[in-house]
Order: sequence, then structure tokens, then C-alpha cells
Amino acid sequence: MNVPQGNLLRKRVVTDLATPLSQALDASVTGYARLEPGDTLLLDAEGVGVITFEDGVPVVAYHSGADSGGADALADIAVAGPSRVALYELDGDALAQLHDADELRVPPGLPAERLAGDPALAERTREAAPASRAAEREREQDGLAAVEQFLDDGDRIADIRERARDQAATRAEEWGFDLPGT
Amino acid sequence: MPAFIPESEANVGMVEVFAVASGKGGTGKTTSTMALGMALADEYDVTVIDADTGMANMLFHAGLADADTSLHDVLAGDAPVEAAVYNRFGMAVVPCGTSLSGFQQAEPDRLRTVVATLAADTDVILLDSPAALGSRSAVLPIVLADSVVVVLQPTIPSLSDGLKVQEYATTYGTDVAGILFNRVTEDEAIDRVATKTEQYFEGETLATVPESDAVRAARRAGEPLLAHAPESTPAAAYREAATRLTVHDRPVDPVADRFRSAVIPDHS
Repeated sequence: MNVPQGNLLRKRVVTDLATPLSQALDASVTGYARLEPGDTLLLDAEGVGVITFEDGVPVVAYHSGADSGGADALADIAVAGPSRVALYELDGDALAQLHDADELRVPPGLPAERLAGDPALAERTREAAPASRAAEREREQDGLAAVEQFLDDGDRIADIRERARDQAATRAEEWGFDLPGT
Repeated sequence: MPAFIPESEANVGMVEVFAVASGKGGTGKTTSTMALGMALADEYDVTVIDADTGMANMLFHAGLADADTSLHDVLAGDAPVEAAVYNRFGMAVVPCGTSLSGFQQAEPDRLRTVVATLAADTDVILLDSPAALGSRSAVLPIVLADSVVVVLQPTIPSLSDGLKVQEYATTYGTDVAGILFNRVTEDEAIDRVATKTEQYFEGETLATVPESDAVRAARRAGEPLLAHAPESTPAAAYREAATRLTVHDRPVDPVADRFRSAVIPDHS
């Protein structure tokens, strides 16, 4: 996914992804957020997440490390954890082609649900979404339904666990921990 | 062999060290640590330690904001452990200071000595752990503990981070004592979520604690929830959680040796 370079609005390290999402919403940003895992030591830190916005409402999501789009990309971004986030402003026309890619689109409130675990922000985002996205809003699962869907994805969870175990073992060496049984 | 633990403290005894942990901040770890501690104190000698030395807040929960000596002083080598122990709410409370200089001067590895020393005189130690896995010192409480209580909110980021905590813990030889759903605001589906979550965690669900004004009021009053609002719904949930925690009898192990064992090589 190629996004034209936009004008940088702000760049910061966040521990809670509700921050950039609510900033984009409150400022009605048209553009995109680039999300990089804050800790480059992390083994699952490969790749960058991108979420685009139209008037503050998320439209598409992509993760370069997993080459995933839409809801899958959100899960990959969520798993990567706290992030360096850069928010860019970009003309809506420059995003139009990207926004036509159905496989990348996300329902308006889903990023807030998946990345921030913030149902109130998700609801606020859904309310701000234009009438043209009503159908997407309808399809969206909110609150615990989204959590249940995540928990039903056994493969993804197995992947999270496996990566964390690899990470823990690699870091044990860096940190000078002797692992049990070694 | 490290010389900082006197042989006399290597008692044969019973102690269970729990790390109360979550990968994500804001899940209510300190509230949970204090509440589980008070509930367990009905039956055991309990010591709670604020091992979140970079973002300490136990002092505000325990009415110890004015404490003269804290864990920072002990970790800096400026005070003996005993000087940072305060008897509050039926427990021994070891708060940590909040100053940046205190944090900078603290030597994180000394936490091992602190735990080993306090282990000699208590049945249960609860370590309020950092909401991070990104550094050696952040992970140390999980490494030192016998088992970890994973505090979760029913959100995807929190569950994902909680899973990472579990995998770190088990990789480092620490068991999972159980999971605690905290700050639950929506209850009709939470049982299903809890059941589905349990299949991925190695410990049972200890309790589901609702989001409550009582928790915020207790914090404002500088008191643990179980002291401020003992009859509240979340207080009852924490008491239930405590009954499900297993405090193992470990009569064979010389207590201090467990914490100066080979898990962490001595750098001194």
C-alpha cells in the first residue's frame, strides 16, 4: 500500500492508541496515522501500521509486516503494542484510490475497539461517520462482541503467544537471565 | 554466592510470592494488589511491595504519600528494608517513591534482596508489577515471583498484552496463578468472554470485578478498596478472587535461597 507523503501534524510515543485516534477525530483530520512499535527490540516489531482518516473517521488499515489489511491489520497493529505514532494531513483526493480498496476498509469504530479497547471512543467515531458509511456501521460489532471474535481466532492467539515466548527467550539472553532447565 | 542475605534469614518456611501484572497500564493493578492483599490478610501474614518503581502509586492507595522512606531508598542502598515497611490495613506495605531521581538512583537488582529478606517473615508477598515487558527491571518482579496474577480488562489490547505477560512468566519459570477481569463495564457477555479467555491462560478466572465509583472514591480517600468500601460489589469480587488463590506450603526450600538461586546471575 503506497500512501503519498502528507504534512506531519504531530508525532509522539503513546502507550494508549486511543490518543491518536481521538486526536484525529477531534481535529477532523483527513490524512493518515503511521504506527510503529515503540520498542525496536521487539521481535514482532517488524512492519508499520497505517490507518487513514476522512474527517477524523478511520477508513482503511494496513500492516506492512504482515501484509494484512482491514480488520486483520488492526489485529496486527494491536499486537505490536505501544507505538510511535505520526499523524499526517493529506488531501482527500490523494487518498481516494486507496479508499476504494475494499479489502483494506475498516468499519468506522473498529480501530477504537480493537486498538484502544475504548467503546466510548468507538461510539463517538461511529456517530461522526457520514451517512454514506451507514452500512459499514451496521456490520460493525461493538464492545465485547469484538473481543469474542478476537478470542475465536485461535490461530492468531497462538501466534501472539509463540512470538512472546520467542521474545522472552531472546531477551533472557540479552538481560542475563538463566532460563529454567538450561 | 551473594553475601547480602544473612544465613539467619534463610529460614525454612512458607511463602508464596505473587506478581500482580498486566502488559497494559490502567487495568487496576495497584487496586488489585491492595485488595487481594487485604483479603488474604484475614488468613495469612501478607506483605505488599510496590515493584513498579518507575510509576509507583501504591503510596497513594495506602495513605503513605508522606512516607519518609520508600523502596527507592532501599534500592539505592540508602536504607535497610525494614525502614521502608509500614504496617497498614493489616498488612506490611512497602511503598515506592515517585521522584525521578529516586528512580534513577535505584538499583533494580536489589529487589531480589528485598524479596528474599521480607520472605523470611511473611506468608504471602504481592508484587505490584510494572505495566511493561520492555526492560530487564520491568520484568524482574515476574521473574522473582512464584506465580503471576494477570489483571485483564475485557478489551483486545489488554488480552493481547496479558497473553504476552503469561508467556514471559512461563518462559522464566513462573506459574500463572490466575486471571482477574477488572473494570468490567458490560456484563451480559463477560461470562462468555471469560470462558473463551480461560482456554488460552494457564490459570483460572479468579474473579470478574466491575467498574465502580467505589474504587475511585477509595483512591481519593487514600485507602484500599477493602478498607474504604468493604461491602461494595468489587470488594466482594476481590475477596472471592483471594479464596481462589493457592498459597503453597513450601517447607523444604530455604526461603532466601529460592530468590538468590540461578535464575538471575549475580553481577555484584
